[in-house]
Amino acid sequence: MAIREMNDLVQSGLDRSIELMTLAAHNSFRFKNRNTVKIISVGNEEIASIGEFCYSLGDMSPLAARDGRFAMELIKEPCGFILLGDKRKSDFNYNCGACGYKTCAELNKAEVVESLTAWGPSCQFKNINIHIAANAAASTAWKMGLYCRVFSTLGMAAFALKIIEEVDLVVGVVVSAAKNDPFFDRHKYWTKEHWDETFQKEFPTFTRGFIGAVEDEGTFKI
Amino acid sequence: MSIEKSMKQFEQDRLEAARIASRLLLASGTTTPRVGGVGECTIHIIDDPCGIEDLCQNMESMSCENKAWDFFKRDAAMLRDADAVLVVTSLRCVTDPADINCNMCGKMTCESLRETEKLPGDADVAFKGPLCVFRANNISYAVDGIISQARNLGIDYGVFWSVGAAAMRMKILPHVTGFALAVAISITEKSPFRDIPLKYGEINERSMNDRIIKRLWPQFRSIYS
Repeated sequence: MAIREMNDLVQSGLDRSIELMTLAAHNSFRFKNRNTVKIISVGNEEIASIGEFCYSLGDMSPLAARDGRFAMELIKEPCGFILLGDKRKSDFNYNCGACGYKTCAELNKAEVVESLTAWGPSCQFKNINIHIAANAAASTAWKMGLYCRVFSTLGMAAFALKIIEEVDLVVGVVVSAAKNDPFFDRHKYWTKEHWDETFQKEFPTFTRGFIGAVEDEGTFKI
Repeated sequence: MSIEKSMKQFEQDRLEAARIASRLLLASGTTTPRVGGVGECTIHIIDDPCGIEDLCQNMESMSCENKAWDFFKRDAAMLRDADAVLVVTSLRCVTDPADINCNMCGKMTCESLRETEKLPGDADVAFKGPLCVFRANNISYAVDGIISQARNLGIDYGVFWSVGAAAMRMKILPHVTGFALAVAISITEKSPFRDIPLKYGEINERSMNDRIIKRLWPQFRSIYS
């Protein structure tokens, strides 16, 4: 019997897992049985360009920058990324009002608003169907023992870069078979000094001893 | 066939199983992902038959308020056979947009979504949008967490937006709820949520029992006794 090395087995298992996640997402519950969600899987090259794009948005969105850096780290070990998307218009005829229009016909006639992240306005139930599919993929990954996280940032970047086409709304599911859980913590992206400075800026009252006191370089005045 | 003691015991245990299962489903739905890791969903269990009936009657009355909601009657007929209902809410989609300017709602910034007038609370409006779509999407994860666990436990389930809308209208959910969906579960030999014939709102096991057994059989018995 031929001997297969662990790295080969892990990569092969990961590839198969991504197929099974896609299958679970494809067969997940959908409102009104509308199986219109488009699902694709992308490789390291695309993940790298998505990561770079996210990182370039650092001035506007620290979260995107963090996820961009994270994506660049992720591809150093076996990983996978599936993208799920759909069109924004409603084919449900629920007339539920969640989108802000009284009827689905009004929503479908509304002028499209284009942006890098998504095109709106969008049907709430279209979104629900996409995200139920995303969770079905994530729960399948969880059952197979893969490290997994759902990313809106990376999904939106993939949309901006037109990596997934003919959709208006996108979300991404990342899985990893790294030696350690890459989602457990991401401390390595921040120095202690930067973290302390940001925390102090965002939560200045955390160390304040008395309500009404004014902070002035470490001293409190009333 | 008479109802033996052991059969009654089975019925009690079946309902107890549904009660326990609904709590396990709540656990699974609660721990699913939330965008940005910000909690905003609550899950409410209704396993009292009177509570479920209240929901059904509300759905039936809502079915007359919008032509597109005619199927609420069918949903109510299915829900009457459910052993428990889990209603999942989104608590931030009206009052607290995600502030990431995602444009899914059709507004380029969350600030303009805040400034947009919401739909009026008319009878034919289920959810007073526009909602923060990004926030409301969290419900999908909670609902699929419930579905995923129901499948693990081998429990039949049905997902209904009509029930969420009715529960909101009945004001039995937290007051900031902007969007709600529901998962009904059943522990019976035949799933009440599958193989639904046409006109199920009118013709179902309950109405068949009423018309055939409770109405025709007493007449037959009177005449042929």
